[in-house]
Amino acid sequence: MNCKNKPELRERLAAEYALGTLRGRARDRLRRWMREDAALARAVGEWEARLAPLAQEVEPVRAPARIWREVEARLGSGAARSGWWDRVAFWRPLGILASGAMAALLAVVALLPAARPPPVESMPAAYIAVLSDPRTQRPVVVATAARRDTRLAVRALDPAILVAGKSLELWAVPRQGGPVSLGMLDAEQATLTLAGSADRTLGDVPLLAVSLEPRGGSRTGAPTGPVLYSGPCVKYW
Amino acid sequence: MAPPTQETVSADPQAAQLAALLAACANRDRAAFGRLYQASSAKLYGVALRILRREDWAEEVLQECYVSVWTHAPDYRPGLAAPMTWMTSIVRNRCLDWLRRPRLEVADEDGALTEAAESDSPGPLEALERAKDRHAVARCLAGLEARQRQAIALAFYDGLSHAELASHMREPLGTVKTWVRRGLLKLKSCLELQEQA
Repeated sequence: MNCKNKPELRERLAAEYALGTLRGRARDRLRRWMREDAALARAVGEWEARLAPLAQEVEPVRAPARIWREVEARLGSGAARSGWWDRVAFWRPLGILASGAMAALLAVVALLPAARPPPVESMPAAYIAVLSDPRTQRPVVVATAARRDTRLAVRALDPAILVAGKSLELWAVPRQGGPVSLGMLDAEQATLTLAGSADRTLGDVPLLAVSLEPRGGSRTGAPTGPVLYSGPCVKYW
Repeated sequence: MAPPTQETVSADPQAAQLAALLAACANRDRAAFGRLYQASSAKLYGVALRILRREDWAEEVLQECYVSVWTHAPDYRPGLAAPMTWMTSIVRNRCLDWLRRPRLEVADEDGALTEAAESDSPGPLEALERAKDRHAVARCLAGLEARQRQAIALAFYDGLSHAELASHMREPLGTVKTWVRRGLLKLKSCLELQEQA
């Protein structure tokens, strides 16, 4: 039984789902239908909005501090951030301002299409980051994404940077807040999936960085190993 | 079918602030996430505690919900739901999923649930009475027949299923289901009238 062509049934199920009386398999089934039936999903959303003000009458109870500690631990806590994070924070303005890094970026942008086909076909990359090795000043990693795409194409310009038995983890370093993992660069080329469109996830990220991590990436959600490469991330159209 | 307009983001400065914090969370701003937690956790913990009636369960669920809020912040659309509506729905749904785990069906160990049912669920229902001026939904709920109102309040605040409602209100399942269904229908038409007014 589906409720697509039965507006009254749809309305009743949506209301009971939002109220919470729809249980068990009926609840699972409605969740599945919601994914395919936009009108049903909308009806549930409307019912949730109708009933939600009732929750404001629940007596607030101060949440024990360990809840927040646990949330932080699950997301990768601020503790792991000291050291690595301080270093990044220290030279973060440099990454944006350093004319050398920007020049390297522009040079790579100019050379890229000629050297290899664009990583995400048919769409010009809107966000581009060029990460350099601070010792040699040479660009070693390029990452690109189209504005509305959730795919980030990453390429190691020098395959020799890959380290056997370890992972190179790519981080977005936003203007505010801690670094956010974008995924692993375990091969010469990788397509990483962003948490949302590039506009959303990279729009306020002036810098990308790569840290050396245990195989599979940092266990804490924050960088734990040395920062090997970094560079500006810019939107160029 | 116009979407409900009570509690829209622009109308309410607190909602606007929460929406701004959620937008910052979407940009992976951990400081904003901390402020969002501070501004919302007491209310949401209260909601979870009321439904689950056990502190350890409520803590576990709240942790999961805030991790989920952080993860899904980029998906939040201010035009579709007020921030508290969005977060409350995450918490209530997670609580109901939690209660479904078979071994948890006997949740009312200390009898608090029965007590709440017998005393007509005093906490939130009394608060609702006071909230009539602030929320159209509280006003409309107050206009329902007492048993309909009680059934809906017990389902919303205490997370009772139809079967649990029947057992705690000591009425046949079919009767309780009818109260809920008719109550919800009346609630909706009352809210629509209020919006037009």
